[in-house]
Amino acid sequence: MAVKFFGQFLVERGIVTSDALLGAINLQDNNNLKFGEMAVAMKLVTPADIQRAHNAQMSKDMKLGDLLVEMGFLTLVQMNDIVTRQKNTHLYIGEALVQVGALTQDELQKQLDAFKADQAEYVSNGIELPISSANEKIWEMTVDLTYKMITRVLDLQFRPGKCAVATVIPPRFMLAAMDMAGDVEARYIISVSEELQKSIARAILSEESVDDEPAEVLEDTVMEFVNVVCGNVAAKASQMGVIVNINPPVTVHPPAQGLPITAGYTALSFPIHIIGGDTMELILLVKD
Amino acid sequence: MKKVLVVDDSLSVARQLEKIISESSDFTCVGHAKNGAEAIKMNHTEDPDIICMDMNMPGMDGLTALRTLSVMDKEVKVVMVTSLGGVGDKFTEALRLGAKNVISKPFDAETVLRILREL
Repeated sequence: MAVKFFGQFLVERGIVTSDALLGAINLQDNNNLKFGEMAVAMKLVTPADIQRAHNAQMSKDMKLGDLLVEMGFLTLVQMNDIVTRQKNTHLYIGEALVQVGALTQDELQKQLDAFKADQAEYVSNGIELPISSANEKIWEMTVDLTYKMITRVLDLQFRPGKCAVATVIPPRFMLAAMDMAGDVEARYIISVSEELQKSIARAILSEESVDDEPAEVLEDTVMEFVNVVCGNVAAKASQMGVIVNINPPVTVHPPAQGLPITAGYTALSFPIHIIGGDTMELILLVKD
Repeated sequence: MKKVLVVDDSLSVARQLEKIISESSDFTCVGHAKNGAEAIKMNHTEDPDIICMDMNMPGMDGLTALRTLSVMDKEVKVVMVTSLGGVGDKFTEALRLGAKNVISKPFDAETVLRILREL
């Protein structure tokens, strides 16, 4: 019911034990050399060269391989050879589980098929952004996953509106936000009406009526929806090789004239027209 | 009947988990802690068999609490319940710190109860 990686899927279903998975991960850690380790193993650089490049990384935002080329320790061809060797010798978690005796080859194939089917609904359908951004694939995936979670978790039918760049974040009954850090810098915001807040609360609490619930609980359900979406975004991003760290969700209360957009940020607004007439809004405040 | 402590800063998630646990004949919910520090205190006062704990909480987070609990109490079984379960590094770190399993949010009652019964 969420974005998962293969090992987690197997443990959650009781196919392998957590101890077996840890054994397989340890095997992967020993086998799958990082770029610097592989470069040394191939005798293309020395550990001292790697250390110098690591020191240089403190002041330069560059990948180790690019930096080793820039510093003259590697040629571009050698860098590509290292990456190719890493790919060719990479031990995947499924194969590692076979090697530690937790799965047979037949069982591995069967479980890979089951995993693919389980995760099929989280395959991105492609969203177009009105701006170009270094992390546009991440933002497209974030929007796509939000749409999928609205269907899956909230059981709401909707029609996505056209994305636009907003100059102000308009006030609504409630705004729930979560900050994203790591390889990206952004704030994820969901804006809802009072009625939509109740729809979200009914879905999250699995209750037919939430009329007697305190305001605190109703607000919390919207924040929890944001938490679930952003956690799954972080999982999907990690599969794409991008680190997304998240903080606990918060509520935002804009003034009547709305919240201005902080300098250096772009606000991407995605209207989500709920069948029945109401509109939810997803706002991605992304650092340029 | 096994005693379960729920640890989550979200009132709605705590409500969901308490409902799932209390409707099962195998488990009883002994309380709700809102962060890692409260969890450590309530582990001492309530002596649960199982702790269902979120990772991402204000104050002391779930992994820090797990690190402390695994030193202080060798008996209690901790299952992480988190939206970050699909992040491979977080999942692995939780298992290495002694968590018995990790349940991803959103979850369903069947998955939660099956995992708790397997402990």
